[in-house]
Amino acid sequence: MDYPIWDVALGGGMLMAIVAIPHVIVAHFAIGGGLLIAVTETLAVRRSDFELRELARRSSLMLILVSTVFGAISGVGIWVVAGLISPAAISALIHTYVWGWAIEWVFFILEIVAALVYYATWDRISKPAHLLVGWLYVVGAVMSLVVINGIITFMLTPGEWLASGAFWDGFFNPTFWPSLVLRTGIALMMATAFMVFVALRASAECREALLRYLGWWLVAGCVVAYAGYRWWEAVLPDTVRNLFRGAEPALAQLAATRSFALWSLTGALLLGLLVLVLAPRLARVATAAGLALAAFAFFGGYERLREGVRKPFLIHSHLFSNGLLVSAIPALNESGLAVRSGWVARGGEDEAQLGRALFRAQCSSCHTLDGYQSIRRALPSRADLSALAAAEDAAQAMRVFRSECAACHPGVGAEEMRGMLPSTDELRQDPEMIADLNHGMITATLLELRDMGEAFTAAPRGAMVNTAPLFSPYMPPFVGSDDELEALAVYLASLDRGDEPKPTRNGKLS
Amino acid sequence: MNPNLIPSLDAAGLPGPPDLFHVLLVFTFFLHLLFMNLTLGGTLLAAVAHHLGGGRGGDHRAVLAARLMAINTYGISLTISTGVAPLLFIQLLYQQYFYSATILLAWVWLSLLALLTLGYYAAYLYKFRGLPARGGGGGLWLAASALMFLLVAAIHVAVHLVSVQPERWAGLADGAWSVLADPSYLPRLLHFVLAGLGFAALVATWWAVRRAREGVEVELNTAIAAWAWRWVLWTTLLQVVDGFVLLFLLPQAVMRGLMLGGAATLVPLALAILLGLGLLMMVARTTDPVGQPALVGGTLAAMLLAIAVMSITRHQLRALYLAPFTAGAEPTVVPQWGNFLLFAVLLVAGLATVALMLRRVLASPASGAEAA
Repeated sequence: MDYPIWDVALGGGMLMAIVAIPHVIVAHFAIGGGLLIAVTETLAVRRSDFELRELARRSSLMLILVSTVFGAISGVGIWVVAGLISPAAISALIHTYVWGWAIEWVFFILEIVAALVYYATWDRISKPAHLLVGWLYVVGAVMSLVVINGIITFMLTPGEWLASGAFWDGFFNPTFWPSLVLRTGIALMMATAFMVFVALRASAECREALLRYLGWWLVAGCVVAYAGYRWWEAVLPDTVRNLFRGAEPALAQLAATRSFALWSLTGALLLGLLVLVLAPRLARVATAAGLALAAFAFFGGYERLREGVRKPFLIHSHLFSNGLLVSAIPALNESGLAVRSGWVARGGEDEAQLGRALFRAQCSSCHTLDGYQSIRRALPSRADLSALAAAEDAAQAMRVFRSECAACHPGVGAEEMRGMLPSTDELRQDPEMIADLNHGMITATLLELRDMGEAFTAAPRGAMVNTAPLFSPYMPPFVGSDDELEALAVYLASLDRGDEPKPTRNGKLS
Repeated sequence: MNPNLIPSLDAAGLPGPPDLFHVLLVFTFFLHLLFMNLTLGGTLLAAVAHHLGGGRGGDHRAVLAARLMAINTYGISLTISTGVAPLLFIQLLYQQYFYSATILLAWVWLSLLALLTLGYYAAYLYKFRGLPARGGGGGLWLAASALMFLLVAAIHVAVHLVSVQPERWAGLADGAWSVLADPSYLPRLLHFVLAGLGFAALVATWWAVRRAREGVEVELNTAIAAWAWRWVLWTTLLQVVDGFVLLFLLPQAVMRGLMLGGAATLVPLALAILLGLGLLMMVARTTDPVGQPALVGGTLAAMLLAIAVMSITRHQLRALYLAPFTAGAEPTVVPQWGNFLLFAVLLVAGLATVALMLRRVLASPASGAEAA
């Protein structure tokens, strides 16, 4: 929270998704593809099958062009983007698992060198030597997955690490093995999704056999992925699983994401069975594209779900996505953030400017002003409140009541709420009343968000915090002094009038 | 209110003594530099050679361009792969300076990804479609690739300069481009570019000399060696001049720290200067590298040593730049010796596996039905 803030209209989360989603697809293809290519070449050598060999050879070009080029750059890209949008968070993760990443780098080097040698030595070295290179690639790629899987799963389910702080407690956390099985299945799905395009270019007499061969791999991948997914879901702590499972999931959007992911997996499985295994003569580029889309959709859905249930944390129950440590909440509430951060302090004495600096430090890792997760759209507006007070349009009044009032006033009906608001005549006489009301609502929300900090602080260390009953399960708490809370409220209320402090050149804080 | 713009140290502390990570940072950065020099310098040199050779298959410069890019399409992968480790360790040791600098230059830093991707694929397009033997095309791809990598180098230099000068952050927050006005910016960028050109030219010379001595395309390889050797000479000369310019442009406090740092700073600096001058003398001694293969091999070894030594000096300069800000701010250390040991064992085993794999590959040539 004491780093400079980069204003990116697109939203940090969206930018990360743009870089990370293609990377994970390619990275899993690199693993599954490597395995499948090595197995395919091994079979080709044993059976003296030229077409199988060609499938392996042509796929290896795709492997190096996609994985050693795009995969490597986008992998670095994840660090680049994370450092820009959540520097404190990625720093904490790196400080905790630097040896894990260093070990992964060793396997990565083996993987890259083996991939390049493998591709470059077709037709040039003996078959056993070439197979050795291919299988060494598989070792490097699979071990990379094992290491990264440990770090990724640690972020969602740190397990015993929360109490012990021990490296291996966090690494072999409750979701480590299920996730490894799931990602192995996904890797096979990604591999077949890519390699089907290569098989479609094979000679007509061999095409069906190759497609059927890949089809069985796809089916295996789907089954393994499904088993891994159900295992993963089963070992999640109840507090996490209840966010998206059960009759009344706390986060209905994530429940929908889960359904989407599983239906996509079903679609991929059916397409694979039908178009690759049962009737490969039906396979076309369009069906291959459909298959790839279904596989990507399952993978994307799962990743969205995994990221979603982790919110608002980067490391569950330890570190929030905006870089705030759970352990730092009391001190920051006591001293205020401007005392700790020179970048926030640059906001100066002016309330709105300080509020803007606080918004950027605490909220901008998830919210933009008008783009992705727009804060302006999320806040109550004076126009909405006026509409509710006037109640000339019943449907609009009810919509406003539901979106702006119901959460904080669960026992109050729309009519009763309207009675609590100033009348239309009163508003006409004193238009500032509605602005005061708007400001008051924002202040009340910020107070609730600050109170959430106490719930996080009071939670027993060593156990995962149950976020479901909190005021806003998705959000980190607000931290800061009373004056800072008021400054942020002033700034947020100012957004409604469209006269927020203007950024200077380059969008940087003046 | 806090006037200090430098973020606080990471509360998690370091999982090992700082010196261990400094050593790892310098060592892995040195590895990265070897491939980076080939990528940056090799692509620039290939672009020039291709242009001068007119893209014709028979011209020695065009053949050199094709050779350099045949290596580079693999070398670029290794540049990125070896760059991951120093990127990891710099985030560990200098996170508050490094991240702040990248955020202040956010769009520029982010554009690095696009430039790398474009440069990389442009290199492949040149390789697959533009080889002189296939009709002389591809010069545009090569020029584009060289330009992209030059821009990547320019971005790295800018981020480095911002990261070591926190006193300038407040000004940079309102206009990050002012980093280009830093008097040491261009000499520093030139230092990297010249090193890349010189190293790539020397590797090209060494290979051509080897092939010529083996009797393979003697005339062609002799011409390539002579042409590349001239590039080694001129880039080394310019590098020595630029190195002194860069030295005198250092802020007084940094220069003082360098000169008063005792053997720890003076030995690498003196060695770097001596190696630079020595390289110049070695290269100037002959215009016939094929006739003096030992001299070429010795020059290559000396240049590798110079790169290693300069990696150390560069790291020490960063520490001296940041000394006023890091004084008294020692990170907590919670060593994970078991994990370090595991990493060290795996690193040795991994590098040994790579070496054995390459040895097996070189020892298993085959063709026709026997080949994979």
